[in-house]
Amino acid sequence: MSGIENVVGRLREVLPENAVCSVSVENGKVYVEVQPNLLPDAASSVYWELGGFLSTMIGTDDRYVDGYFRLYYVFSIEEGREEERGKPWVIVMVKIPGDKPSFPSITPRVPAASWYEREVRDLLGLEPENHPDPRRLVLPDDWPEGVHPLRKEFKFDERPEPVPSEYQFRPEEIEGEGIVQVPMSPLHVMADEPSQFRLFVDGERIVDVDYRMFYVHRGIEKIAEERLTYNQVPFIAERVCGICGYAHSTAYCQAVEDALGIEAPERAEYIRTIMLEIERLHSHLLNLGVACHLAAFDWGFMELFRIREKIMKAAEILSGGRKTYGMNLVGGVRRDIPRDKAKKVIELLREVRREFSKTIDIITSNPLFLRRCENVGVLPTHVARALSAVGPTARGSGIPRDTRWDHPYAAYKYIRVKPVVEKSCDVLGRVMVRAREVMDSLDIVEHALDGMPGGPIMYDGDIEIADYARGLGYDEAPRGENVHFVVVKRDSRLHRWRVRASTYNNWPSIPYMSRGYTMADFPLIVGSMDPCYSCTERVVVVDVKSRSTRVFSHNELIKLSRKASLNIKRG
Amino acid sequence: MSLKLIGYSRKRGVVTHPYPKQPIEVDEHYRGKPELEFEKCMGCGACANACPADAITIETLLEKGVREWSIYYGRCIFCGRCQEVCPLTAITLTQEFELAATSREDLMVRAEFKLAACSECGATMDITERQIAVARAILSCSRELPDPEALLEAARVCSECKRKSTAEKIIEATKAYGGGV
Repeated sequence: MSGIENVVGRLREVLPENAVCSVSVENGKVYVEVQPNLLPDAASSVYWELGGFLSTMIGTDDRYVDGYFRLYYVFSIEEGREEERGKPWVIVMVKIPGDKPSFPSITPRVPAASWYEREVRDLLGLEPENHPDPRRLVLPDDWPEGVHPLRKEFKFDERPEPVPSEYQFRPEEIEGEGIVQVPMSPLHVMADEPSQFRLFVDGERIVDVDYRMFYVHRGIEKIAEERLTYNQVPFIAERVCGICGYAHSTAYCQAVEDALGIEAPERAEYIRTIMLEIERLHSHLLNLGVACHLAAFDWGFMELFRIREKIMKAAEILSGGRKTYGMNLVGGVRRDIPRDKAKKVIELLREVRREFSKTIDIITSNPLFLRRCENVGVLPTHVARALSAVGPTARGSGIPRDTRWDHPYAAYKYIRVKPVVEKSCDVLGRVMVRAREVMDSLDIVEHALDGMPGGPIMYDGDIEIADYARGLGYDEAPRGENVHFVVVKRDSRLHRWRVRASTYNNWPSIPYMSRGYTMADFPLIVGSMDPCYSCTERVVVVDVKSRSTRVFSHNELIKLSRKASLNIKRG
Repeated sequence: MSLKLIGYSRKRGVVTHPYPKQPIEVDEHYRGKPELEFEKCMGCGACANACPADAITIETLLEKGVREWSIYYGRCIFCGRCQEVCPLTAITLTQEFELAATSREDLMVRAEFKLAACSECGATMDITERQIAVARAILSCSRELPDPEALLEAARVCSECKRKSTAEKIIEATKAYGGGV
């Protein structure tokens, strides 16, 4: 544990002297309690001087326990430790008095915290002072002021009377000669959320992007806190996301295991790893296929989806379901993998490997595809760093972040996975990261299926729940790190469950990726982040000067993107 | 380039499955529609307890003398917890996945279990006849218990009658010692 001591020592060096209230090490994580008025100093020292990335931020309502709200800023200390496996977690905590719910915002110093602080403002009513963008993030526009659903006095089935109001898109400061606003109405983002984009375009070029999201915030956390016991939650956790659901249920189970101080047996860890990699395979193949489709290279799309079908079959053989595997419970997994099934899956994977390596060679040497992806949607390394981007988005911009390497969990403790990094920072970089990761995942699954140890698949010791025990669970979903935080109560219910999906950290980088590129590139850029490929319901173009509007449909937008490829073809 | 792609694709051939004209084969352990084998079930409600989605529910109606079991496939998430916890393997996940229906009612399956009557007063008890039958089967092959028959008798008496008989026994016992109540 010398690494931890080292971090504690460094913390004392970089933090302002009078800021620290207490430092403690809990389950291998460093908890630092700081004075609320010095929070921005403390957080920015941990972020910039200690080299931390903001992994998640959690607000809890503990007023019925001890009269305080608490905020936990979870940092993963990575910079300058690229070669280190098992990097330290530093959790900066502040206590906020229940009768004075406000705290100084760290966003001006740590831009990555912007969304998190807007979220606690909406859901818990904790006001971030000096936040540069104090608009609503999560709550609907017609939600009444002063009602905060994650406060304990709010019941999960309460439905406050709506108060009509409209969301303010970024002000007219961007207005100018020839600049046109292009609102894209709530669009069904393939995976996580539908959202509304407003593009500011000058002719074809995008000048800026603003967005409004969380149209389908389902309040899953609230339901779990009020209605379910901790062992019912893995099933609803798997439904947080339609693509990387298993990664969520694994992160959740690991968080509760961390809080209870138990460990899943080794065989269960291997089974989790196998399913996580199967999920990564199907998700990456889907995204690569979609990228081909958007670039009007449909051969690649068809071919990758044909290959992906074999992965879906493998998931069906292993778990009994094509997408929702339903394998996790706290303490292990529910379904074993017998020898004959492992053999069948290995055979399928070998077919996938043969076919995929040929297909991806053809795709990545296609001049048309390359021209659409190269030097488009550039996300500079320093921006990705400032926003704490995760997954292929960060790795495509040259940051070697991979939870499997940084914080080994499940069977990655025994299997070493080096982060795949591309330095080009563009759409192609992200495509290449995924393509290379597909090959890695195939190796991992085959290796794990072959070398799985025997033994039980479920923890069967006694479970003792300390009241208000905290736990952190994390894993590398196909689009990056998922982090779950739980506070468990003695009656085996959850006091707080915070889900942080990988896309949450990546969304804020969309404006940076899109500025300066054309509208036809936009679907491809958004798609390369893999939250969605702009399943736009409709797009309205507003000419600011004449107030004329034109409605684009989802198909028209995709057509626009595909036409751009055809224009290249024609020269 | 294009010629190469054509050659490559021709080698693959057509992979589209002519579904629904031909049925799709799923894995033997596919988690499809859960089905109750009524003959095996004793109506204990373990599945309803475990169901994370509340698709399976159970209700004891003393005045009607039945325990109602029901599953609503519209809520089912096909996790297989019911199959896992069933002590009699009465509910299993089948390979069936085509569950489209035109009305909600078609997605509902109900079962009723007759509640047992107290062997003394005849009142309805909160236990099904089948549960008693299962208890009998278990007790009859147990060699460790001293008097299985007496245990079974006790299971067939309602709590009210049990309380009464216990009270009577106490009165008898105190009488034997000559004391009052």
